[in-house]
Amino acid sequence: MPDSTRREAEDRSEEGSVSLPDLGDSIDAVTFEQILEMDDEEDEREFSRSIVFGFFEQAEQTFKKMDDALKEGDLATLSSLGHFLKGSSATLGLTKVKDSCEKIQHYGQKKDEEGTIDEPDEAKCLERIKETLVAVKEEYAEVEKVLKKFYGS
Amino acid sequence: MFASTPLDSTFDIQNFTAHNMMTSGEVASNSTNPGSGSRSIDEAFAAFTPIPSVLLDAAFRIIQVSASFLALNHLTLDECLGSNVYDLVRSRTLVPGPTALRLVVDSAIAARNVYATSEQQATGRCHANLRAVPIFEGNELLYVLLEVQDTTAEHESRCAVNDQLDRNDTYRVLVDTVKDYAIFMLDTQGNVRTWNSGAQLLKGYKPEEIIGKHFSVFYGEDDIIFEKPRKELEICLRDGKVEDEGWRYKKDGSKFWANVTITCVTRNGVHIGFSKVTRDLTERKAAESQVVAAYEESAKLKSAFLANTSHEIRTPLHGMLSALTLLMDTSLTPEQRELGTMMEESGSILLQVINDILDYSKLSSGIFSISSDTAVSIPNLITSIVRSIQTTVKPGVSLATSLDLNLPTTAFGDPLRYRQVVQNLITNAVKFTESGSIDVHASLVEEDETSFTIRTEITDTGIGIEDIAIGSLFNPFTQFDTSATKRYKGTGLGLSICKSLAELMGGAIGFHPNPKEQGSVFWFTAKLGKINTLNRVDRLSAKFEASVLSPAPDSLELVRELAPGKRVLLAEDNFINQKVMLMMLKGLGFANVDIAMNGAEAVDRAKRKPLFYDLILMDISMPVLDGVGAAIQIREAGIDVPIIAMTANALKEDVASYLAQGMNDYVPKPVDRQILLKAFLRWLR
Repeated sequence: MPDSTRREAEDRSEEGSVSLPDLGDSIDAVTFEQILEMDDEEDEREFSRSIVFGFFEQAEQTFKKMDDALKEGDLATLSSLGHFLKGSSATLGLTKVKDSCEKIQHYGQKKDEEGTIDEPDEAKCLERIKETLVAVKEEYAEVEKVLKKFYGS
Repeated sequence: MFASTPLDSTFDIQNFTAHNMMTSGEVASNSTNPGSGSRSIDEAFAAFTPIPSVLLDAAFRIIQVSASFLALNHLTLDECLGSNVYDLVRSRTLVPGPTALRLVVDSAIAARNVYATSEQQATGRCHANLRAVPIFEGNELLYVLLEVQDTTAEHESRCAVNDQLDRNDTYRVLVDTVKDYAIFMLDTQGNVRTWNSGAQLLKGYKPEEIIGKHFSVFYGEDDIIFEKPRKELEICLRDGKVEDEGWRYKKDGSKFWANVTITCVTRNGVHIGFSKVTRDLTERKAAESQVVAAYEESAKLKSAFLANTSHEIRTPLHGMLSALTLLMDTSLTPEQRELGTMMEESGSILLQVINDILDYSKLSSGIFSISSDTAVSIPNLITSIVRSIQTTVKPGVSLATSLDLNLPTTAFGDPLRYRQVVQNLITNAVKFTESGSIDVHASLVEEDETSFTIRTEITDTGIGIEDIAIGSLFNPFTQFDTSATKRYKGTGLGLSICKSLAELMGGAIGFHPNPKEQGSVFWFTAKLGKINTLNRVDRLSAKFEASVLSPAPDSLELVRELAPGKRVLLAEDNFINQKVMLMMLKGLGFANVDIAMNGAEAVDRAKRKPLFYDLILMDISMPVLDGVGAAIQIREAGIDVPIIAMTANALKEDVASYLAQGMNDYVPKPVDRQILLKAFLRWLR
């Protein structure tokens, strides 16, 4: 079974179809819409706003912990942090951030980016995490910008 | 003075009483007096000296002769005494001849000293020489003593020495010309004593540089630290021989992969050293590791390729099928519904094909593993499989199950794989049976202290198997229906996978025609381990089965009807996901949702109120105790609330292990509401 089954939900809830601005290809529209549908009133977007801004906070904390773990060369912690942020970014449909977090999770397990082939060289894994961490921060900055604009703050 | 005729070995000198070496005048009296007591020194000497001797006077007449001499030359006393020695030699053609004899005698007299002929071959293997001892008184020659000296023993030992020399020379040439092997000798202490050209070529030392040095110079530091050279010699002394492979070092410091044989060398039972033969296997080693690396590389590529391909194909296919399921939930015209059904059928066949190919490639590469420590209830398993297939049976066909009462309620095995085989066989029967019946029968055929052997038999009244196809039935890519129209679809891998699986489960698989009518009987056996603890499994294994979905028209409405009053426990550590899940559950009408921040908390809550929750949603990766660990503990506490795993690790193997360890179902992350709805419908109704 895939972990990324996507489809247009045909039975949108009674709030009606949500019209979304273009969020670019960093955000999976279907997943994010699912969150938006949980808002009581479209204008306020109180629930989704709290989730999104809660995520910003979580992401920044996690990146900091990742930086620290990288300094320590602590692959196991990096992997579990990657997994942690993968979960919440996936929930929001932040595809690129999620993919990068998954890579960090795999590198931290001393595997290749797909998680299929072992990579026993810890230094190499750390180097890859370092590169991915730079990339994921950029990806995060991009979605943060888009989402902040969306929420008008 | 020694005969060329063979010496009679039985000749007994003690019985040769010819009272020898006596003067001519004494012959008569002494010949009658063989006793030893009254014998003169001369007589005793003549009779018993082991050296064949003749005493000549100055005119070379024989005046005394020893018994041993007479025996040696087959002469009698009378023939000798008084005769001129040259006449005797000439007349009896003794060896050496008169010329040589004269030379010895004359030389001895001239030198006034002992003189001997060179060694001569006497009879057979015997060798001897003749020695002349001149006896002077002043300048006057009184006597000449001739003695035959038997040098056979010395000769033989010298021959042996010569032979050895020859042999050593030969081998030395052989050894020296060997260029590919270092062959050399060590003394008992391990110091190098010889050095062949192969050794020089291989190790780079010249003989003068290395001879006398200890052989440990060829070893690396690690080996020296572990005292490998010393240990090798010890083992060699004990066992006579030692063989080793490892890195050895040349004079220039470069290393090579060596095969070394050290043999203990002894001579006459005394240990004199060791022989050492070293071969350079670097190239072979390199070739070997290249082959291994190439193989590993290709295996990796293959597995990566398979993983990628399957992912690439399955993901869109699942998307398509899920969308199709949703489409089928809408109101469709009968034509649209029929087309949709066709798409669903083809899609699920395609999915099966992809799964089969993946399984087959895993089975054929031997990386397929089977678990034997999951508790499984065969009766429940079979009942649930039959139930799930029931809906696909053609009208007019009955599908029935009969289970022997002696079947164990639970045993250790691999429920997933067992299910796969049973399902495959029943599905085949359903596919090929247009009317009549399909009977599934399971029985216990064998039992010992640790295991059950269970036989499952599927009898149908379908088209049966043509005789010609029976032999190749379980070969991969074999299909019964090769007609152009191909009514029956598939890869032809199913039965071959079943065969491998049955064998992996310690059993066998087979076919025979339906004995009563047209149709087939497929059976397989599997060995399952016995278990003593009969706790959680019975209730659970039946619930493992995610039944085939027959989607209701509106899952959302159904769930909303079910939700009020249901109590759900959500175990999730990431608060973002927590909040989203909570909201989603709230939207579906669940008012009673408890939160656990980790697995331990979930176990705690579940245990405190064992009958309270109707369902647990369990994240897999959580701190303190992960979801799988929590599920295990909840099951161990005897609580059989449905647990749905939530995970982004949606690999088939992962899911299988979650299910095996107590989970009932799973939804992939990020959680899609539609998938969640289906799961709720499976477990809350």
